[in-house]
Amino acid sequence: MSTKAKVSGSVVAGFPSPAEQYLEPPLDLNELLVKRPAATYFVRVEGDSMSGAGISDGDLLVVDRSLRPANGDVIIASVDGEFTVKTLRLGNGERGMGNGKRRMGNGAEIRLEPANPKYPVITLKQGQELDYFGKVTACIHLFADKR
Amino acid sequence: MIGLVDGNNFFVSCERVFNRKLVGRPVAVLSNNDGCCVSRSNEFKALGIPMGTPYFQLKSREASGELSFCSSNYELYGDMSRRIVSILREEAVDVEQYSIDEAFITPPSPEALENIEEETSPSLSSTPRSPYLAYGRRLRSKILRWVGIPCGVGFATTKTLAKLANHMAKKQPDGVFLMPDDPTEILAGLPTGEVWGVGRRLPAKLRAERIITAQQLRDAPDATIRAIGGVTLLRTAMELRGIPCCEEKDYNAAPDTVSCSRSFGTPATTLDALEESMASFAAQAATKLRRHGLLASCCNIYAQVFASGGGGDLVGRTVAFPTPTDATNEMLRAFRPEIAALFTPGLRYRKTGVIFFGLEKPGTPRQMDLFDSQSLDTNSRSPSPLYKAVDALNARYGKGKIFSAAEGIGPRSWQMKRSKLSKRPTTRWDELLTVR
Repeated sequence: MSTKAKVSGSVVAGFPSPAEQYLEPPLDLNELLVKRPAATYFVRVEGDSMSGAGISDGDLLVVDRSLRPANGDVIIASVDGEFTVKTLRLGNGERGMGNGKRRMGNGAEIRLEPANPKYPVITLKQGQELDYFGKVTACIHLFADKR
Repeated sequence: MIGLVDGNNFFVSCERVFNRKLVGRPVAVLSNNDGCCVSRSNEFKALGIPMGTPYFQLKSREASGELSFCSSNYELYGDMSRRIVSILREEAVDVEQYSIDEAFITPPSPEALENIEEETSPSLSSTPRSPYLAYGRRLRSKILRWVGIPCGVGFATTKTLAKLANHMAKKQPDGVFLMPDDPTEILAGLPTGEVWGVGRRLPAKLRAERIITAQQLRDAPDATIRAIGGVTLLRTAMELRGIPCCEEKDYNAAPDTVSCSRSFGTPATTLDALEESMASFAAQAATKLRRHGLLASCCNIYAQVFASGGGGDLVGRTVAFPTPTDATNEMLRAFRPEIAALFTPGLRYRKTGVIFFGLEKPGTPRQMDLFDSQSLDTNSRSPSPLYKAVDALNARYGKGKIFSAAEGIGPRSWQMKRSKLSKRPTTRWDELLTVR
C-alpha cells in the first residue's frame, strides 16, 4: 500500500464546507429521555388524576425501574392489581426503599397522592406493601394525533 | 469460572411484570395454538400439574377461577430477554446467550469482584463469603429491579456443571449457587436425567449399566460411556469431571437452512389455506434469509395431514429456483404452482412449512444457465433492492404492513390461535401499559 494524504469529506467539486471540522452528531431524544434502556418502559396515561402535576389524559410517561423511589417522587405502582400514577408520600420515618427491595411496608405510612382534588388519596393499609413498578422520569405530551 | 443465568419460569415471569393480578396465582403460559402448558408459575407447579399438560384438560379449572392461562407472547418475551442480556453484557466479561431465557457468562476475575463487593455492600453478614456469590446476588437483584424478572445464577468450572449449579440455585433462598470445588456430594444427589445433554432416552440405557446419578456418570469408565452415548456423552462426563470441552456455539455462523412452519389454529381443508399459509411462511423465512445476507437456491415445501393423536402423513416437494435469490416474489413464482399437487380434497391439514436451502452469499461464482435469461442480468444473484425496501418499511411501520397478496387478504383461518394473548407493551406504541 502506498502512503497517501488523508482525504476528508466527500466534496467532489467546489469549496469544502466550512462547518466540516465542527460537525457533531445530531441531538437524539433517546439520550435525554432514556438513560438506561434495559430498565426503561413507556406507559400511557388514562384519565386526569394527575392533571395538577402536568400529566394529562393520553400522555406518554417514561418510567425507569432502576430508580429507587423517594418521598415526593411521581411513581407507577400497582394497587389491587391495577397500575396507577401518583405522587409517593412517605410518613413515619420511611425514607425510601432499601437495596433491591421492590416492596415496602413494616408499619410506615405510605400514601399515593393524586394531583387532582376530584380523586381520593390512596393510603395503604397497615402492613400492606407498595407494589412499585418504576419512577416517572418524563412526561411526553403530544398536541395532536395522540394514538 | 462460568456462570449460567436463567429466568425463573421465564414466560410467566414476563407476563407478571405487566399483569400484577397474576402474582401469587397458579398461572401457565400455553404453547403455540394454545396447545399445552410450556411455562408454569410455582403455584401452578405446586398443584402437581406437569409441564406439557394439554390446555383443554384444564379448561374447567380455568372457568372456576382456580387457574389462569396466557397465550405465548413471544414479542414480549423476546424484548425482556434482550433487556436481561444487555445488563449481563454490562456486568460480565463475556456473554453467550443460549436460549431465550438462559445465558452463559464469564464473570470478572475474583480480584476484580472483591473490589466491587467492597464498594457496594461493605457488610454482608451471615452469607457465605465468596466473591462469586456476592456477584451473583448483585446480578440477580439488578435484573429483578431493572427488568422485573427473577433469575437463578449458578457458577462452576464447566458449562455442564454450571447448568447443574443453576438447578441448585433454584432451591436457594437467594437464588445463587456456587458449585463446590469437589462436587461429588451434589452430583450423587442428582439423577443423570438432570444433566445437560443427557436427554430423555439415555437414562434408561445408563440404568442398565447401573449408572443412575450424575456422580456415577462422571466416574464411569470412558469405554462404557462411549458405548452408551458415543463421544457426545463422553464430553458430558468430562465436563462433569471439571474439564471444559463444550465448544462455544458460533451464533453468527451462516445457517445451512432457513425455515418457517406453523401448526394451524384449526385444521385447514382448502387449497387456499395451504397456498396462503405457505406464502406467508415463505415471506417470513425470506426475511430471515435477507437478515443473514444470503440467497437460497432451492426450497422444500411441505404439509402435514391432520391425524387425531398427532403424527399424520407428510407431503412435500422440492423446488429449485432458476437462480439463487432472496426475493420473496421470485420464490413464490417458483413454488406456488407446485402446491396444488400436495393438496387432496377432503383431507384436513395440521400444518405447513417452507425450508430454504442451498444457501450462499451473493456473488458466489457459479456456472451460468445457458437458457436462463436472468443469468445474464448481473443483478439476478445479488440481494433484491425491492425486498430491502420492503424489510425497511416493515421494520419501521410494523411487521406485515407490506406483504404479498398471495398471503391472502381475508381472515386467516389457518393462523396460529392465541386467544389469551396479552399486549405487547414494550414493542408496540398502540399496546402500551395504561396507568390511571
